Amino acid sequence: MIQFCRDLRERGLLATPSEAIDAVATLGLIDLDDREETFLSLRSVLTSRVEDFPVFEEVFESFWSRLGRSPQPRKIVEREGLSTGARLSSPNHGHKGLAFFLEHWGAARARDSEPIKLPGASNTDSDAEKDFSLFRADELEEVARVARRIARRLARVPSRRWEAARRGLRVDLRRTLRQSLKSGGEFIRLSFKRRKQKKTRLVVMCDVSGSMDLYSQVLLQFVYGLQNSFARVETFVFSTKLERTTRHLRDNSYRHALKRLGTNVRGWSGGTLIGLSLAAFNSDWPKLVDKRAVVIILSDGWDTGDPDELGAALADLKRRSGRLIWLNPLLGSRDYQPLVRGMQAALPYIDVFAPLHNLASLRALEKHLIL
Amino acid sequence: MREEVRNIQDLLRSQAYVSDVAVATSLYLAMALGKPLLIEGPAGVGKTEIAKSLAEALDARMVRLQCYEGLDATTAIYEWNYPKQLLRIKMQEHAAASAAEKEAEIFSEPFLLKRPLLEAITDQTGSPVLLIDEIDRSDEEFEAFLLEILSDFQVTIPEIGPIKATHRPYVVLTSNRSRELSDALRRRCLYLWIDYPSFEKELEIVRAKVPAIGEALSTEVTRMIQAVRKLNLAKTPGVAETLDWASALVVLNASQLDEAVIAETAGCFLKDEADLRKFEAEMSAGRLGI
Repeated sequence: MIQFCRDLRERGLLATPSEAIDAVATLGLIDLDDREETFLSLRSVLTSRVEDFPVFEEVFESFWSRLGRSPQPRKIVEREGLSTGARLSSPNHGHKGLAFFLEHWGAARARDSEPIKLPGASNTDSDAEKDFSLFRADELEEVARVARRIARRLARVPSRRWEAARRGLRVDLRRTLRQSLKSGGEFIRLSFKRRKQKKTRLVVMCDVSGSMDLYSQVLLQFVYGLQNSFARVETFVFSTKLERTTRHLRDNSYRHALKRLGTNVRGWSGGTLIGLSLAAFNSDWPKLVDKRAVVIILSDGWDTGDPDELGAALADLKRRSGRLIWLNPLLGSRDYQPLVRGMQAALPYIDVFAPLHNLASLRALEKHLIL
Repeated sequence: MREEVRNIQDLLRSQAYVSDVAVATSLYLAMALGKPLLIEGPAGVGKTEIAKSLAEALDARMVRLQCYEGLDATTAIYEWNYPKQLLRIKMQEHAAASAAEKEAEIFSEPFLLKRPLLEAITDQTGSPVLLIDEIDRSDEEFEAFLLEILSDFQVTIPEIGPIKATHRPYVVLTSNRSRELSDALRRRCLYLWIDYPSFEKELEIVRAKVPAIGEALSTEVTRMIQAVRKLNLAKTPGVAETLDWASALVVLNASQLDEAVIAETAGCFLKDEADLRKFEAEMSAGRLGI
């Protein structure tokens, strides 16, 4: 059982020793000959979100068959339309994963000291205007740091308005007096007020396929710095499928977050399926987007899927969100025209179509984030 | 299968709650291990109903704490009845008792307004079922505070002192996944995911909860709803909507599903204009079997 929990932990599940203790206690409470019951019980104890289910099943199968408990693997439980489960199981193994790219990002670029030229990269010299792709690996570290600093500065603008609060710096005399009426004019309870906090939500979806990985990196760093100024910040990455990275980026130490992101996110392959990923977002996470949410999609629009699907998914997203921002690094180049089918399909639904290719563009993003 | 798990299934079924093995097993473990149960799933699949059915089946009280954004920790536990206290003070102004005695009196149980969490802890007759509904709508601060309570089932009221649970409540939490719950809370709870039911299960539910509907109609209704769920709608109907629709059809004395009846009652399971239009388009294209 300890080994089993260790295996699960390695695959990213929350299976600490205390869960192991519970699991052992569970074994004493159930009918061990009933494989389904054992499976369901342990799953209830050792998983903590539906995304863990496919991983748990895999580890369970391999573990118990290794122990020779069951001669042939049987279909464990009738999956009643496990709608999100189907989408999340990863059929592709052995492709270069996000994990790999994150770990080797710095190393790879250091080896190759020639700056990478992307089509449409800016040619000016000033650092703020310099396209991210033109920086060397060590310089990119600095760029990332600057991005976080910009974000944090954004974060410190409190609202001018005051709102009622249970505790705060200032006594709200008006409400206190009203409350005192209940108690015959005696001030039993003080009401306070404090500066209104920002209630905007931010949902960020980054394309990490091919050449987009670099820009996504910078944007994610930026968003990491922004976390404290928004009510809720959710981040996702996608290429052929969508993966939620919010948990990983919540860590206080960015280094640590990167490492966790590296070990937990599963692989992805070459092409980009933007429409499919957005559709998956709409159906799996419907409650994350409302009128108070600003949605940012970072992608160059090279969708290898059906453009109608992309259009439909975006229409749905736009309808539910407060603002839809599409960031396209290629917009940094003067000559760029959004002719690609995916980009064309997306344009009618976008509120703000902006570039994200250098620090200046990051700063310009600020005004769009305030609803 | 363990006897107890089967018992729970029967118990739930006696309340017309059609559960499956996963639900029964999780409930059994939650009770046996004394851990809270976290239930996640799309809207309308019966997460809250589990707690209700469990309470009925166990003949226990159900205490419900509905979470919302800005829910305060103290509001969830207690509040002093200020007006009553003030009145008592005024009445006792000329009484002979000392200040300390007067204070002890106004800060005693008759002046305490118990909110859900305190109610759940101080139930004297037996373990109640504590339903903490939509925990994802509260904030992280509240979650942390809740964790403390869920560990030792003890709260402290400054004027009275610590109050410990005589009977530990069965705790069920539900979440709609509108925000990420903390790892600490997830580790503390057993986890159950409830998804939209299969055709067979939904049929069973409809027949159990709306017995007047009849075999043929219940089959048609279930088949239609299952098809509707496959359309990519903004507000996918849950089981609650299916049951509403079934009840509506019974009230209208419908014997079968045809275009007219569906048009009249579509509002039972489609709650969004865009969805309605999409549904109508699919129907006229003949893709929904009518």
